[in-house]
Amino acid sequence: MRIESEAGLRTLQAAGIQKLKPKQPRIAVGLATCGAAVGGRKVYESLREAIDRAGADIDLVTVGCIGYCREEPLVNITIPQKPLVILHRVSEADADEIVHSVMDDQVPEDKALCRVPSWDHVTGVVMQYGKGFANIPLYEDVPFFAPQRKVILRNAGFINPEEISEYFAIGGYAAAWKALHGMQPEAIIAEVEKSGLRGRGGAGFPTGLKWRITRDAPGGTDKYLICNGDEGDPGAYMNRNEMESDPHMLIEGMIIGAYAMGLKNGLIYIRSEYPLAIERLGTAIRQAREYGLLGDNIMGTGFSFDIRITRGAGAFVCGESTALVASIEGRTGRPHPRPPRLTDPEGGLFKKPSDLNNVETWCNVPAIVANGSGWYAALGAANNTGTKVFSLVGKVDRVGLVEVPLGTTITTIVFDAGNGGANGKKVKAVQTGGPSGGCIPLRLFDTPVDFESLNRAGTIMGSGGIVVMDEDTDMVDIARYFTGFATGESCGKCVPCREGLKHTLLLINRIQAGKATGKDLAILQEVCETIAATSLCGLGQTAPNPVLTTLSYFREEYEAKVRP
Amino acid sequence: MTHGSSEQNDVPEKPVIITINGRPCRAGKGETVLAVAIREGIPVPHLCHEESLAPYGACRLCLVEAGKPGKTEMTTACTLKAADGLEVITDTPQIVKHRSILFELYLAEAPKSEVIKEMAARYGVTKTRFLKKMETDDPLSEKCVLCGLCVRVCNEIMGAGAINFINRGPYTVVNTPFLEPSADCYGCGACVKVCPTHAVVMEEAGSERVMRSWSGTRVPLAACSCCGMYYAPRELAARTLAALDPHLDQDLAGLCPACRGKRIAEREILARQGGAGNHA
Repeated sequence: MRIESEAGLRTLQAAGIQKLKPKQPRIAVGLATCGAAVGGRKVYESLREAIDRAGADIDLVTVGCIGYCREEPLVNITIPQKPLVILHRVSEADADEIVHSVMDDQVPEDKALCRVPSWDHVTGVVMQYGKGFANIPLYEDVPFFAPQRKVILRNAGFINPEEISEYFAIGGYAAAWKALHGMQPEAIIAEVEKSGLRGRGGAGFPTGLKWRITRDAPGGTDKYLICNGDEGDPGAYMNRNEMESDPHMLIEGMIIGAYAMGLKNGLIYIRSEYPLAIERLGTAIRQAREYGLLGDNIMGTGFSFDIRITRGAGAFVCGESTALVASIEGRTGRPHPRPPRLTDPEGGLFKKPSDLNNVETWCNVPAIVANGSGWYAALGAANNTGTKVFSLVGKVDRVGLVEVPLGTTITTIVFDAGNGGANGKKVKAVQTGGPSGGCIPLRLFDTPVDFESLNRAGTIMGSGGIVVMDEDTDMVDIARYFTGFATGESCGKCVPCREGLKHTLLLINRIQAGKATGKDLAILQEVCETIAATSLCGLGQTAPNPVLTTLSYFREEYEAKVRP
Repeated sequence: MTHGSSEQNDVPEKPVIITINGRPCRAGKGETVLAVAIREGIPVPHLCHEESLAPYGACRLCLVEAGKPGKTEMTTACTLKAADGLEVITDTPQIVKHRSILFELYLAEAPKSEVIKEMAARYGVTKTRFLKKMETDDPLSEKCVLCGLCVRVCNEIMGAGAINFINRGPYTVVNTPFLEPSADCYGCGACVKVCPTHAVVMEEAGSERVMRSWSGTRVPLAACSCCGMYYAPRELAARTLAALDPHLDQDLAGLCPACRGKRIAEREILARQGGAGNHA
């Protein structure tokens, strides 16, 4: 079972393609947590029964999610020589109709969202499905998908995340083979540096540089590589979908990173609130070990590396690097001042130099190795290369995961992909970056979404949550919500965050109760500025952003609620 | 990185010179800016600093503006290592502004603390615009500012781990696990000693020491085998004696410090009287 030759990998790929494009039709139900939440499991069960009842020769499988949340449950149908068709808003009642159509080599066209004649899986394989179904719109003509460029979500919704063979089918682990067999570690780091990839967790630190620092740190191979899967921003679920829909993409990225940094210990820190992601990653890790992709002597190269999963215990602040390390070590998840950084020997996990990257950062790595840094650097904008997945939620018409090149404007995301406000309401603002981010008013929607432009607008990119507000949204209430969240998640170590946020919340409640005066607004502004300037860690430093940006852009809403 | 290597090339004993408010100050290797300021008598307010503990950076009062000329940033002096040529200013208008707000937050958090009131007044803050915390039966007498010193000495120095933080954010308190009397507490009183706001209280009640702030933990005291006075927590005394090298004579071990002094003096006199010739 172990992969020890390129031919062996190709054989596995061919076998995988037989599963993705079998001789018989294949029905695939989108079953990430989101699909399951709107009844996807019931759809799956009723399809199972309908197939059995009809005695049909049809494969029924589970796939991840393509990201169009509003249209779920989504069901893909692959009929030989025909385009892959995505059905939307499928219910249990549709099962028999779907199965009977498929038995006649047809699909229920009234339920079809779009057709996919061929799909670029980015890491070297363009899957050709077939021609036909001309009445069904093409994938790229669906307005929600039209502005998108799928690099990170390249396989999400197409492959079965619990079957390593389907990951082999789309060219999976070929990048790892290329890296481990054909590239020096130094060359990989240089490629990642040249690609311009920056940390997708929110800070935007150059990934290649962090790898280089870790590689150069003392300690030989006994260092740690950590994947930060503690995604916790309200309204953000990109990482969840990446892990649930395509876990091997993450593992492959980590293997390449480990080889480049020359270390042997890998760890995925993932929040307990993501049980399905934990389960699927656990399965994926076991499968990768069986094929000799993790463990000793990976792909016959003599290089050894393995990954363990550590579950978080429910604290938002544990996504911060020093608190995350404390949490893994079994201590209370409280940040400490940096330096020492994780890459320093005294600051890393178990006192070993450690590299920490976000889930989505790792997911980019196989694509960069497969296609080269030049290809990646051409995506996105200068100094903000590549694509980024955003979770577009709130009062927006088309809710879902939107992957666009960095530098795309908020207008494109909210209006072109998202079709503006839900129920025909006017959009007023967006909140980016979760509780650490800020609100951007409609008049600034031409702002390109990149690390620096969002900072200039007073917010941050964060991990990629975009919450849309419409004309009915009370912006003071928005500030209150996020402040309440940050107050509850403050670890309580330093006074500006612990006490300052508490009083910020009390002041906003006072305003909402109609008991505040103009003086209270002044205090609110002052205390928020101090929290931002003096807090110990990133949580406190950024927690006042929702208040400060709404005070600056929507001051009239505050003033309308206070007595002079 | 570059800094470390250049220092290594220097003569090892070359002193580090930093300037604080324009005044050149000598600093030891690895010393923090706050430690230098304290030694030089330059006032920098602080609550969570203790020389024998690792830097913690939680009270945020020791904020200074520091860096090389033209490239400075606001940071805490307790976590900032002195490096040659570092320029530090302790009271820029920005620092004064933020520090005042922090003092207002402290005044609201620990309304009964005279230490906080006096410290804030020294920096011109005499009242707070924030809602004062009101708590009945606070075991820390409405004086705790969660600086963590008690928790850190208990864990890091004493190795007892009897107390720790409970809850998080604004609900954080310090106490024993499950608010039950602690079997791990030695009753050493280090927590009382380090508390900057005198929030931690203990008292002696006959043969026991009562840690009033820590869920009524009671620690038995050792009685002096000579005068009968209770002089130290029993287990702590035993542990301390066991750790002494060389060991204390058996007849001194059970004595209170006063009686021990007396006994040693008596012995010395006896020895001189009995064998004066030998000592002459």
